[in-house]
This record gives sequence, structure tokens and C-alpha cells, in this order.
Amino acid sequence: MFGILTENQSYFLKMMEVSKIIRLCRICLLLVLFNIPVSLWCKDFQIAGLNPDISGLMEMKLLPNKIHLLGKNSTQQVLVLGTDKEGLVRDLTKISSYSIIHPELARVDLKGKITALAGGQTFVKAEFQGQTITAKIWVNNENLKLPFDFSIKVGRILTKRGCNSVECHGSVGGKGGFKLSKNAGSPREDYRWITEGGTFHVLTTKTGKKIPRINIEQPAQSLLLLKPTTSVPHGGGERLQAESKDYQIMLDWIRAGAPYVKEPLKEVSVQVENLVAMPRQIVLKPGRTQQLLAVSYLANGLQEDVSNQVRYLSNNEEIVSVTVNGLLTGHGVGETEVQVLAPGHTASVTVGVISKAVISYPNVARHNFIDDYIFDKARKFHLVPSKLSTDSEFLRRVCLDLTGTIPPVSRVREFLDTSSPEKRTRLIKILLESPEFVDHWSWRFTDFLRAKNPIYKQWIHEAIGLNKPYDQLARERVAAQGFDGPSRHYEDMGGTAVPLPQNAMAEQVRVFLGQRLDCAQCHDHPYENWTQNQFWGLTAFFGRLSNLHPGFPQVDFVILDDPEGYGTFGKGAKVIHTRNKLEVQPQFLDGNMISENQHDDLRLALAEWMTSPENPYFSKAIVNRIWGYFFGRGIVDPVDDFRSNNLPTHPQLLNRLAQHFIRTGYDLRSLIGLIVGSRTYQLSGNANETNQHDQRNYSRALPRPLETELLLKAITHVTQVKGLNGNFFDVYQKPDLTSIPERDMSPSLNQALHQLAGSTYTTKLSQEESRMGRLLQENATDVAIIEELYLAALCRFPFKVEKVQLEKLLQAQDTRHKAIEDLVWGMINSEQFLNNH
Amino acid sequence: MNRSGCESFCESIARRHFLRLGSLSLLGINLSKYLELSQFMASVENQTGSAKAQSCILLLLEGGPSQVDTWDPKPNSGFRPIGTNVAGIQISEILPRVANHMDKLAIIRSMTHEEVDHGLSRDYISSGHRPVPSMEFASLGSILAKELGSINDIPPYVLGAPHLKDRSLGAASLGAEYNPLLVPDPAKADFKLNDLTLPKSITEKRIQDRKGFLKVIDEIYRQKEKLVEAAARETFRDKALEMILSPTMKKAFDLSRESEKIKDAYGRYGFGQSALLARRLVEAGSRFVTAAGYNIDSGWDTHGKGSGGENDKKLRALLCPTLDQTLSTLLEDLDQRGLLESTIVIAMGEFGRTPEINPINGRDHWPFCWSMVIGGGGIKGGQVIGASDEKGGFVAERPVAVGDVFATIYKAMGIDWTKEYMTPVGRPIKIANSFDDTTGQPLKELI
Repeated sequence: MFGILTENQSYFLKMMEVSKIIRLCRICLLLVLFNIPVSLWCKDFQIAGLNPDISGLMEMKLLPNKIHLLGKNSTQQVLVLGTDKEGLVRDLTKISSYSIIHPELARVDLKGKITALAGGQTFVKAEFQGQTITAKIWVNNENLKLPFDFSIKVGRILTKRGCNSVECHGSVGGKGGFKLSKNAGSPREDYRWITEGGTFHVLTTKTGKKIPRINIEQPAQSLLLLKPTTSVPHGGGERLQAESKDYQIMLDWIRAGAPYVKEPLKEVSVQVENLVAMPRQIVLKPGRTQQLLAVSYLANGLQEDVSNQVRYLSNNEEIVSVTVNGLLTGHGVGETEVQVLAPGHTASVTVGVISKAVISYPNVARHNFIDDYIFDKARKFHLVPSKLSTDSEFLRRVCLDLTGTIPPVSRVREFLDTSSPEKRTRLIKILLESPEFVDHWSWRFTDFLRAKNPIYKQWIHEAIGLNKPYDQLARERVAAQGFDGPSRHYEDMGGTAVPLPQNAMAEQVRVFLGQRLDCAQCHDHPYENWTQNQFWGLTAFFGRLSNLHPGFPQVDFVILDDPEGYGTFGKGAKVIHTRNKLEVQPQFLDGNMISENQHDDLRLALAEWMTSPENPYFSKAIVNRIWGYFFGRGIVDPVDDFRSNNLPTHPQLLNRLAQHFIRTGYDLRSLIGLIVGSRTYQLSGNANETNQHDQRNYSRALPRPLETELLLKAITHVTQVKGLNGNFFDVYQKPDLTSIPERDMSPSLNQALHQLAGSTYTTKLSQEESRMGRLLQENATDVAIIEELYLAALCRFPFKVEKVQLEKLLQAQDTRHKAIEDLVWGMINSEQFLNNH
Repeated sequence: MNRSGCESFCESIARRHFLRLGSLSLLGINLSKYLELSQFMASVENQTGSAKAQSCILLLLEGGPSQVDTWDPKPNSGFRPIGTNVAGIQISEILPRVANHMDKLAIIRSMTHEEVDHGLSRDYISSGHRPVPSMEFASLGSILAKELGSINDIPPYVLGAPHLKDRSLGAASLGAEYNPLLVPDPAKADFKLNDLTLPKSITEKRIQDRKGFLKVIDEIYRQKEKLVEAAARETFRDKALEMILSPTMKKAFDLSRESEKIKDAYGRYGFGQSALLARRLVEAGSRFVTAAGYNIDSGWDTHGKGSGGENDKKLRALLCPTLDQTLSTLLEDLDQRGLLESTIVIAMGEFGRTPEINPINGRDHWPFCWSMVIGGGGIKGGQVIGASDEKGGFVAERPVAVGDVFATIYKAMGIDWTKEYMTPVGRPIKIANSFDDTTGQPLKELI
């Protein structure tokens, strides 16, 4: 057996105690049985288990810290964690030793698995290198045994194996004629699909051909067993081993007549209230491992260890991988989530992989509460925030973000020259009150509120100018009637007719609640808990949306709610559910129906529900969107895709910002002021050793591409030439606002062609009436030219080495005007220019 | 640039192919990766080895032609039906030349969708998906560009009508690299490719000089900030320069290389010259070229006097003669050059027109039943698919979705038409989308 070990590995053998050698032998045997290359496994073992550098532990922790066991024979695995001298939490579970204070009540094995023996209270004690930690154990006296419940027992088997994932039978129409609900979210339906057969059809309630997946007469011949064991061909391959425990559970269930529950049942006793995955936040170095635990908390206060009965999924396997049993291994530096899926419940943990621990962490100044949340998390993940931005960095960034423009050269000089410590705060105040702020933020809102119509645009401009409370703006837009500003957005959505009620609804929900409901139009949302019924219930609020064509040329479109129903001229149509073809009544997402007196103005009723402080999405959606503009990504990203498996990176910050926003009366300008005032916003883009890979913890400023309109403005600012932009807007894609734009500034061939030959980058640069022309006329020195262009484009002075090299290049050109044009071309094509950083 | 799902997937398989399936998950290949594999396998099975078509030309009849006055003659048309070179197929008398090429074209008389607005309908026929305000769909041209790539570095997707740059003529979430190259009206005297022709003052040497300045300005920053976009921009710039300087490219877009005779034959108007350019591009290696030109004077949007012109008059005097001439010439020209076997030709609008003439002698928008023609690239011509009712107002037989036509094109080009793309938020989008969100199916009579 040892013959297969390399020299390196046998070195560790020598260092091991006898008990560990025995354990290793056992594992080696397993490895051979399962045909796993030993070298792969041993690497793991070496790091997780026997690494001699775990000494001088600072702190130990035992999870779960309270253990409520159901009764005799029920088990719970524990985790032992220790903070090492680098401040990193290490998994000590496999190398700790365990004991129980009252051995008659429970026992614990070498790996930390507790088994209940009798009712009562006791403690489990874990010991590592002389340090100990304990946790209390309660063993239930009643000796509860969970009764059989289809939703849990069969649900777990199907969920753990991914049978009901959206890629498989959990997809909308199922797979191979067999349908399951995603992650066993609708067990009653699953029961029907399994016992009766049939699949989901998008547009009718018919179920197609019904082939039961079980066979009561010959249980072993059930498709539910034959398919996953590949006894008959299965597109998904082998998912279940015959003779396995799970196989037996399903076989026994079918033999017993496949009941939904087995009597007698106290249903409340098995209701899973909550699924918790632990540890919640994990920091690993590449190659290090951490075991996860999954615990189901039941309605009666007891808990069940389901670590081996859930499915683990890494959201980014290049950062961290996870085995079927929940063992994490860190790989590439970064941060991601690992999802834990159980029937009807999901949980997740955040994993950061770092290259190096920060042992002496510096003290970082904080400006406001944003920094508390950002820097506290950065601390945990061993990311040291970059230094405060330079004045140049800050000036360009904040001007672009607040006003969409780069400041004039004279202002740049002035700001860089000022030495007042208050100058940033003062600048922010000035910018927030400038007309350019109103223009820029009107443009931003024009974008996501999809404003094409000039009257509608004007309305947005006024709202931003007056700093209209955002909830009011939202109410006015959703409930708009007539032919004034906000009502016009209904026009831009549907061409000449009013939009279909379902489209109008999905748009409002995405704009104001940050949710994409569209999928739920035809079927329950595959990744979310939105059901088709909820979709149509919400749609019914738009069921009377109509327009009038009074025939005056100026007023060709009057939006109203026609009690006769949706349509151009009130056709009396009703909102009909796509599948069951029944008329739908307005119903809020939380399931509440509208009250009698709300019937007169349905959209207003909806608007009030959407914008109420209790609405869980409204404020978060907008603060997240605004945040995204300043950092290039939302706390939830994409900014309008709030979903249970698209989690916020800083959930508490998101809550706090939303609460703050509500408390300040939905004041957009003050929210923006708060964000740009934070140190987080004002950090430099220069990475340090710890944060160069950070993409989602804001420990440094990341470059954000200037959007099409801003880029052109910036080019015009540098050249001081208006127009002559050729097909700039075509190649950089100015969004047509028929749909909510997803701006994509990624490089393309069309852009490259335009940069080389397009008029924005050729003719525009060779105009006499321009900054370049003026510099020529003034006979400015090379150094002066270089300096002015740097200040104009980048808000900074050139570095010495840049100055020297550029001077040389300028000298080398045949003519001076050609030289300057080429310098400007280089400037406006540089990465520093194309990005806000 | 991000690696596509398949690439990274294929790599991971290559890296770990020694593992048996049973231990996949132990070493990090999770279920979804495995399922990708099975989908990948399935998609290989759906591909046809005998694909003939290499490229596709879309003659876009903007405004929406009247079906009863063109491909689906009815008593309520102001024109008589005439026979064609295929027994039993009749079309309108104002398309006499095309009638002699009916063996090359199949008519679909049962096209149908539900949008009545021009823009939305154009989005619809470009992507095969009914437009919704909450998302954008990739166009057929972008999908072909992605699936087939380019030949000889000629841009795979060219849109001969920049005014058409509607949202659904683009690549949506496929990425900007699959957006069309926009080409202005080639019939205009000053026709040149804006961004493919260097101004006189800019020489190749000068571009190198400019890049020299750029390099100095960016040097320090790029050492600090390793941006994938920066590298991509550089690559694109090199490629763009290559394209601008490439004689093949110049040649492909250089209409002056065509004889006056052939220019006359295609027709000295935007639509005709656009079709001629499309043929040159296809010859050079483009995959999908949209030829247009009916954007002037409302094109086929014949609502009646003053708003698009009187239907019958305009069709007889302007629209049908130009379509007749250009489409016939294109088919003949492709045929003579041996390109018809590898080039699909489509002529279609965004919808049809009302079966009844309105009070001002016009016909209005009508998406519920309309016609189109398709031929070349291995598609069997000389047949009629589907049928309309007696007035050409509704589908009587075999409704066909735009997505079914897409599926036919994909099949002809050897692309798995059942494929779905994932949007960044994980919504699967069918590349061929038929009615009620089902997968489009190739029209079996055609291929």
C-alpha cells in the first residue's frame, strides 16, 4: 500500500501518530476502490490535515454552536475552526480530538460526528494543541423520528443529484418527457408528475402523454429507479447506484404504495423552516480546504444535519471548487459564492481566496457609514483598501460621475493648486448644485426610464432639477394618464399601439423593482420563486391601459385606463392567463388582493404598493442602480436582476442605504452626495499587493468605460470641435430606447475602424478652429502642448518620462500640426481617457 | 475577452478527460458542466454534414409589400395573376421577369406574426422573437456571424442600410464583435465606406506614428491596470488596419470594378446597387448581407396618397419593376457565377398589407398573413408553402413563423437550429423561435 506513495508523502507519514496512520490506510483503501489518483488526494490531506504551520492558534470555534438532536441515533457533524497566527480561519475538524461530557447521552467519533444515545443535555468538547472549545447538546427525550414525507425524503434525493435542476428535469418543459419542479420547490406537483406522469406545457394546462414514473405492482421496475441507475437508457447518465441507501428509500416508498406522507403525521414537526450553510464567510489560500455543513432547522426548534443530502454548487470553479460532500478547495484568487440546495430551500456561503494573509492590517480612515460596511468586509477578506485617490484622479472621476464632463483646463489647474483640506467636500457641493448635474442625471434617468419622447424627457429633466422625491417620480410614471410627460413612456414601448399589459408590467417591475419577471409570463420563473400566477396577477393592473387618438396633430396619444379593458379604443378585452385561459384579477406580488376602493385607479393602487416603504424591493433597487453608476457594478449585479441566486456582495450595506434613502424622503441628490463623499468612492485606482484581483469588494477604484455619449462629449472637450462625428453613434451604439438598454462598451472591430479612419478621429482632429489650432497659433512650446492636453484629457500633469518621450515624438514629425493631431489621437484613444478611473 | 462557455468547457474536458464520469464531481466537474456536455453532444447530432449554403442575401422590402399584389395573387388585387416557369404557380403580373425564375424560388404564403408597427416588426423578422421592452434579441446576421465566422477576413455580417440600425439588427448579448458592418447607400455618387477608407492625409505610416504616441501615453497605466479590453482594442485596431489596407477588402467594396452593363442590369437605384454590392461581398466571403434601399419615399409602405402613395400606382410604376429587375438579375448573376448553389436569397418585408384597399387607395399594415420568397443555397425552389384564405387576409394552411424560416436557413448552412444561447442573466434564447416559444423547425419541403 505504501509503495504507491512518493517520497514527499512518506515524509508526512513519519510525522504521523499511529491512529492517523490507521485512518490514512482506511482512506487509501477507499481511494483505490474509487479509482482516485492518490497524489491528488494527498495534496489535500497534506494541507488540510497535517500542515505543521498550524501553531499558535488565536481563537477556536465550534459549529454549530448549539446542537439540538431529534432523538436517539440522530447525528450531527461538527466543524472545528481555528484562527491561525496569520488571522486565517483553518479547518481543524479532521485533526482535533473529541469527547462528550456525558458519554451515556451521546458519542462522538474521531471525525467529529455526534450520535445521540439518550435524552438529556450535555456538551461536546473539541481539543487541538491543548486548546479546547465546547458546544451544548440537547437530545430530545421523546425520541422523535421524522415521519416519511415525500417532499423531504424524495425531494432531497432528486435535489442532491441535480435531477430537478433547471438544466435537467427542472427545466420549464422537463426533460425526456419527465418534469420536476426546480429544486423540489413544488412538491405537490412533483408528486403528480412522478405518480401520474405528463409534462408541463407552456400554453395549456394539458400535460401531454402521461407515463407514471412509478410501478406499484413491480416497484423495482419503476422508471424512477430504472432511469437514474441506467438500467434503461438515461440521457442524464447514471445518477443513482442500485443498492445505495437512497435507492432503497425510493424503492421502499414505492413498495409502500407511494404515499405523499406516511401516517401518522404531525406535519408541523417536519416542516423545514430554514436551511443554514456554515461557515458563512470563508477565506482560503489556494490549495487549502474547508468542509461545509448544512443544517435544516425545523419548526419545532430541532435541527437535522443534512450536509450529505444537499447539492453544492460553486458559482465560480476557477476560484473555489466543491465536492459532492461539501469540501471546498481554494484555487484562483477572488471571491464567489457556493450555493447549497435542498428541496424548497437554498443557502449560500461566501468564499474568498487570497494569495497572502495581511498580518498587520493598517488603520483605514472612514468618511461615512458606507466605509464601515465596505472596509469591515475588506478586513475579513484580507484586502487592504488602496490609498486615497490623488486630486487628479478624484477630480476627473467625480466630475465625470456628477456632471458627465471633464472640467476645463483652468479649473483643473485651480483645483490641483488649492491646498485646502475641505476642497473635495466643497467641490462635491458645487457639482451637486450645478446645472450640469441636472443635465447629466436627467440623461442617466432618460436611459433607464427609456425616454425618447421630448415631452417625457422634459418631465424627467424637471424632476431631476427639482430633486423630486423618487417615490413620487415612480408613482407618477406608473400611474400616468393623459398626454403629459410620464404618460408618454407607454407610447415609446409599443410603437403605434399601447403596449400589451404584460409588457408594460414587466417593464415597470424591472425599472422600479429590479426584477426580471418576463420568464414568468409563460411559466414559473425557472430561477426564481415567481410563479406564472403572480405574473398575471400583476399584469391585471395594466388590463385597462388604453389610448385615444383625438386626432389633433399635437396630441395624438392620450393614455387612459378604460374600464372597458385594454386596447386602442377600448375593445373590452380582459387580461387572460396564458395557460388556464381564465380572466385574471389584480393581485400584488405578496399575494394581497386590492381593496374595493382601489378599483377605480388600478395603476395608482399598484404604484402605491410598489413605492411604499414596506416594499422590499423598491428602495433597494434604486440605491443599487445608483451605486452601480459610481462603481461600475451593483451591490447586486446586474443592477436590475435581484434574485435569490444572484446575491448582494454587501447585503447589510444595501439594506442600510435603502433605509437611509427612505428616511431622507427618497432624496436622490443626498444619496449621490453620500456615495461620492465616502472614502470608498474616493479610493485610488492603484492596486496594492492585497487587492489587485479584487473585483467586487471596492477595495480600489476600478476603471469604468465612458458610455457612448460621455465619450463623445469628452472627445469634443479635448478637441474643442463640435460635430464631424461620422457614424460614431453607430459604432459605439447609442441605445435605441425601445427596450431597457444594456449598454455594452466592449471593444469591437467597427469601433477600431472608426478610430483609424472615421471622421471623429481624423477630420475632427484636423480642424483649424480647435484646441490644436489655438495651440499652433499661440506657438506654444511642445511642453506646454503636452501639458495642456494631459490636463484637458486626463486632469493631470504628464510624468517626466512621458514628457520626455512625447517631446521626442513631436519633434520627429514632419509638420507641427500633424504632430499635434497625432498626439491628440493618442490621447483620446488611450485607456486612461476611455475609462473613468 | 471572456472565453465562451464552450471553449472553457472544452478545455476543462481536455484537462480532465482521464477521469471516469463516476468521479467527475469529486474533482470539480459539476453537474451543469456535465449537462453542457450532453447538450453539446446532442447539438453535434443535429448538424447536417451536407450543408450547401455558405452565405445569405436578404433583400429587405422595407415598408411591407402587399402580398396579394406580389406573391399571392387574389381577386381583390388590382393586378392579374400570371403563370410562371413552374406549372401551377402564379404570381402577380407586375413581376414578369421573376416569373421566369420561379424554379429557383419557393414562395411562402402563410407567414404570420402579430406586430403592426414597422420598427417592432422589423425587430421581429430580424431576430425571430416578438420584441419586448425588457430585453434585446440578437439578429439572424449576428448569429450567423458567430456560428460561421468570416472567410478571408471579410466582415461576416454587413448591413447595407445604416438607417436600419434598429436594435434587433445587432448582436444584443452575443457581443459587439458580431454587430453588422454598416455600409451606406452604394447608389450615391460619393459612396465610400466611411470607416474603411482613410482620408488622404492619413497614411499607413501616420497610423503607426499615432500608435507610437498612444503607446507612450498608455504605457505606465497599462502596466498598472491589466485590462482585457485594452488588449482586445489593440487586436481590433491591428485587424482594422489590416482590413483598411487589404486589397481584398477594397476590391469587395469597390463597385467600380463592375461593368456598366451589370450595374444597369441590377438597376441604378439604391436597392439595385445594394444588391450588387451584396453579391460582391458574398463572393468575397461575407455570410449575411442585407441589401436595402426602399427607405426613400416610404418604400413599400403604401397607405395611400400623401402617406406612402397609392398602392396600385406605386407598385406598378416603381416598386415592382425595381424588385422584378433586381431580384431577377441577382438570381441570374449568382447562377452564372456558380454562386447560387451556395447563396440563399430571400426577399421579404416586415409584414404584408391589408387585403382591402382603403378609402385613399392605399393598403395598411397587415402582419397576420403575408408572403415571402426564398431560394438558392440548396433550398428547393419552384414550390409554394402554405396558403392564405380567399382574400389573402388570414392563413388558411400551415402558418409559418419567421423562426421556421430561420431554422430552414440554419439547416441549409449546417447549423444546429435547436441551439439556444444564454443571456448574461441566464435566460435561454432560441436561435430559431417559432410560435408560442417553441423551437423553429426547418420547412421540410425546402430542404
